[in-house]
Order: sequence, then C-alpha cells, then structure tokens
Amino acid sequence: MTTAAQFDTFTMEREFDASPARVYAAFADPRRKRQWFAESDHHQVEAFTMQFEVGGRESASYRFNAGSPFAGVLLESDGVYLDLVPDSRIVNAATMAIGGRRISASVHTFEFSPAPGGGTRLRFTHQAAFFEGADGPDMRRAGWQQLLDRLQAALDSVAA
Amino acid sequence: MSHASVLQANEADGIFVALGDASRRAILKMVLQGPQSVSVLAGAIDVTLTAVSQHLRIMESCGLVRTRKVGRVRMCEADRRGLDVLADWVSLNRRMWEERFERLDAMLRDEAPPAP
Repeated sequence: MTTAAQFDTFTMEREFDASPARVYAAFADPRRKRQWFAESDHHQVEAFTMQFEVGGRESASYRFNAGSPFAGVLLESDGVYLDLVPDSRIVNAATMAIGGRRISASVHTFEFSPAPGGGTRLRFTHQAAFFEGADGPDMRRAGWQQLLDRLQAALDSVAA
Repeated sequence: MSHASVLQANEADGIFVALGDASRRAILKMVLQGPQSVSVLAGAIDVTLTAVSQHLRIMESCGLVRTRKVGRVRMCEADRRGLDVLADWVSLNRRMWEERFERLDAMLRDEAPPAP
C-alpha cells in the first residue's frame, strides 16, 4: 500500500561578501564545492564527484562520525544538474538515502543577484518530497503521531 | 544536542529498520499514547505474545521502547532515546544546508583577493 508522499518547501537567503562570479565559481569548481558542500566535522566524505553541466551528475556519500547522533550511518546523495545560467542560477535535483534506503527527492534552486557594495545575495529554495519535511522544532510541536505518519508514508513509498 | 548521542553506532540504522515494519509502527503509535501491557499490544495488532515479544526486542535494542515488569505484567513504554534520534534526523537536512552556506561564506572570505 502506498500512502501520499509528504512535501516541504523552504527558502534560505544569504549574503556573501564576494561577487556573483566568485560565488558561482565556488559552486562550479569540484574541488572548492567539495570543500564547502561536502566536508564537515560531522562526517567523513567517502566519495564526491560532480560534472558541472546541464545533465551532469553529482554524487556524494558520507559516513557520520562517532559522537554524532547518526554515528556510523551512511548518507548518500545522487543528483543531476537541470539548469545553469552563469553567475545567476543553478538548479539541480537529487535523491537522498540513509543506510541504503532512499528517503527523499528534492529540487534545489540557487539564485544569485548582486547585492549593494559588490556582494552577492543568494536565494536558495529547497522543494522536497519526503517524510521528514518540516524542521525539528516544528516536528516536535507537531507531535510524534504526525512524525510517524510521515515516516510511514515514506517507508510505504519506498516499498511501493 | 540530545540524549540520542548516547546511542551506539548504527542504532539510527536500527531505528529505520525497526520502523520499516507496520506492526512495529503500530506498537510505537500505541505506546506513544502511554504505557501498555505486552498482552494488550499483542491483542491490538492481532499477533501472538511470542511474536509481539520479538517485535519488542527489536524495538528495545534500538532505543525506541522500554519494557519492565510490574507485578506479573510486562509493561511497554516509549523510550526518548530512539525518538530523539528520529527528531535529529528530521532537522538534519535544514541544518546541513545552513552549515554549508556558513562554510561557503568562510571559504569566500579566506580566498578574498587583497584589497587594491
């Protein structure tokens, strides 16, 4: 049996003290993208590959470190670039899997615009189909019943 | 962060595996309402006491539920440790993106060309 998927959209806005060309380049260069996108104190990067072109693939896998809440767990993402407009827009889509189980599919839209003073404003929109839709505090408020319903929806959709 | 950090490696995996089963999700839903006796749980999901005990062993091993004897009755209740792991996972995705943008900001600052 398949239960309806759960959907969530959120937007983050950031301002960077660097030109749109420099910010865009930090997304385009695999070495530098790995540095800010993949590397973290929370996990080891087991693999990171990307082809920065429309239709190009980006795949990453991470193993959470001891001491993190997901110690030892494998997290994998696999995605494709859908739209690239130099210095102004990047769109990709990706799935995420935990412990080998695919748990979400999402579209990521990065829009860059010049900010006053020579910086860059980034608007990031994350549109996802998955079970862990809202953030932690929202979910805690929503209660465990709803979390379980979402979990069930995701597990059912994976099993379908 | 939460009590979840006391869980051992791979217990988050264990939680997702444990909740991959409809009977175990039904058990968790019931004990989230309050402690239940093992026999009531068995009756509610229509399985034998032996079967429900096997489910509960799996759920106990990953920190989702606890059982204890009250007199001659074995009671089962929800365990915060496993639930906190779930909540952490739920908030992880957004937190990951926030941290990425912080690292991008730091990287751009480090690379900034010298002022003319």
